[in-house]
Amino acid sequence: MAMSKRKRAEYIRYAQYGVLIVVVLLVAFLADWGQIRRAFFNTDIAASMFPNVITVALKNTIIYTALGFGFGLALGLVLALMKLSSVAPYRWIATVYIEFFRGVPALLVFIGIYYGVPIAFQVQFPPLTTVMLALGGVGAAYMAETIRAGIQAVPKGQVEAARSLGMSQGRAMITVVIPQAFRIILPPLTNELILLTKDSSLIYILGLFREQYELTKFGRETLSRSPSLTPILIAGLCYLIITLPLGYLSRYLERRGTTGSRKKVSA
Amino acid sequence: MSETCVEITGLKKSFGPLEVLKNIDLTVSRGDVVCIIGPSGSGKSTLLRCVNLLEDPSGGKIVVNGTELTDPDVDIDAARTKIGMVFQSFNLFSHLNVLANLTVAQRKVLKRPEEEAKRVALHNLERVGLSEKAYSMPAQLSGGQQQRVAIARALSMNPEVMLFDEPTSALDPELVGDVLGVMRQLADEGMTMLVVTHEMQFAREVADKVIFMDGGYIVEEGPAADVIGNPQEPRTQEFLARVLDPTHHGPSDLV
Repeated sequence: MAMSKRKRAEYIRYAQYGVLIVVVLLVAFLADWGQIRRAFFNTDIAASMFPNVITVALKNTIIYTALGFGFGLALGLVLALMKLSSVAPYRWIATVYIEFFRGVPALLVFIGIYYGVPIAFQVQFPPLTTVMLALGGVGAAYMAETIRAGIQAVPKGQVEAARSLGMSQGRAMITVVIPQAFRIILPPLTNELILLTKDSSLIYILGLFREQYELTKFGRETLSRSPSLTPILIAGLCYLIITLPLGYLSRYLERRGTTGSRKKVSA
Repeated sequence: MSETCVEITGLKKSFGPLEVLKNIDLTVSRGDVVCIIGPSGSGKSTLLRCVNLLEDPSGGKIVVNGTELTDPDVDIDAARTKIGMVFQSFNLFSHLNVLANLTVAQRKVLKRPEEEAKRVALHNLERVGLSEKAYSMPAQLSGGQQQRVAIARALSMNPEVMLFDEPTSALDPELVGDVLGVMRQLADEGMTMLVVTHEMQFAREVADKVIFMDGGYIVEEGPAADVIGNPQEPRTQEFLARVLDPTHHGPSDLV
């Protein structure tokens, strides 16, 4: 066999193209496209979902996610600061919270908050507050660890410079460390926003009214009156409207972070 | 002119079992430039960092501008506003542009109005020759420019004494001169300065007093012409021989 290594690698590559083409052609010819289309894409059903899938379901998904993310970010920051605190009980509380809510399925947490909290504490929250507490409470556990890592990644010299200018520990944290930490963790934080967007599908357990449906509940509800899976496909595509741009944003921020090039920021 | 600005007596500092400073006494008069030289590990940076309490002394007394920093009840944040510090690695706030780096502490700590803070900042940028960089981000500047901004940032607090911790050690050789030039100008204007440095030329020309440290002690101190020009202690002689003429000596057994 007098074939050079490079030549052989080239033939192996051609062979892979060949196999791929054969597989694609086989699938294309053997599949029953009509059946698939009936199962997943019925244009009439798809059309019937508009405009509510956007004006109600997508809107609600975005509202729920935004509320959960906002609350989760605030609580996550508090937990991260507690975890870095010199007061030991703060660290213990934060650790227990983070480990518990990270280790338990979000669905169970939602059930606990929806059914358990009103009984245990004799309070009835409005639906949006429940959603915010449930999604944010779970999101905070994940974000706390990310924020803590970000705070610790800010060079020690930044704090020393701030302190030597007369800033107190807290002032240096707020003015110098936290803004820089958030720049560092923007890419992973964007990823957590994506995860939270998908987790918002679990709040169907909170038994919402029709006008409170988010994408998954809306899709399932339409599905129950439909002979095809079209509503699920449409709902899924709607999630991509949110998550794809966020994914690009995350990668853009990551790239910008590694090259260190930053646009001017006004004073 | 002999008013005391910094007075250190019996200063000790240990990191765990490691004794870095062993009984340091040092007095700096107002308007004086004191250069601290010595081999790495001699404790000179630790000494400097004790002067604004970035390091907490294990013993001894430090008085700066009439305030005893080692008093447990001292308002250290207030005291630090009068003590400017310049670091080897610049430590500019990387998320803020140059002007904001110079105004942030004026605004948040000294509570100066925005207009005044900006005016003070621009004046000090001019002093270090970087007026045109006010709206640049630190990452867009060369090392020498960043260090000059760091000096301007410290000056914007109107300090009574400036501490320099090896301010040119992280710079490319051709950028060292810019920073030393700014420091010399500052010295000429009468600023009280404590400078940890390896720049013997600067120490010789600018310092009113040179201190040679080794092993946690002040081994020799006096006018630059004496300590650098005509050292008396063997440790000082050997150190200076190596620093001033590095290629004509064998491997060191110092430190």
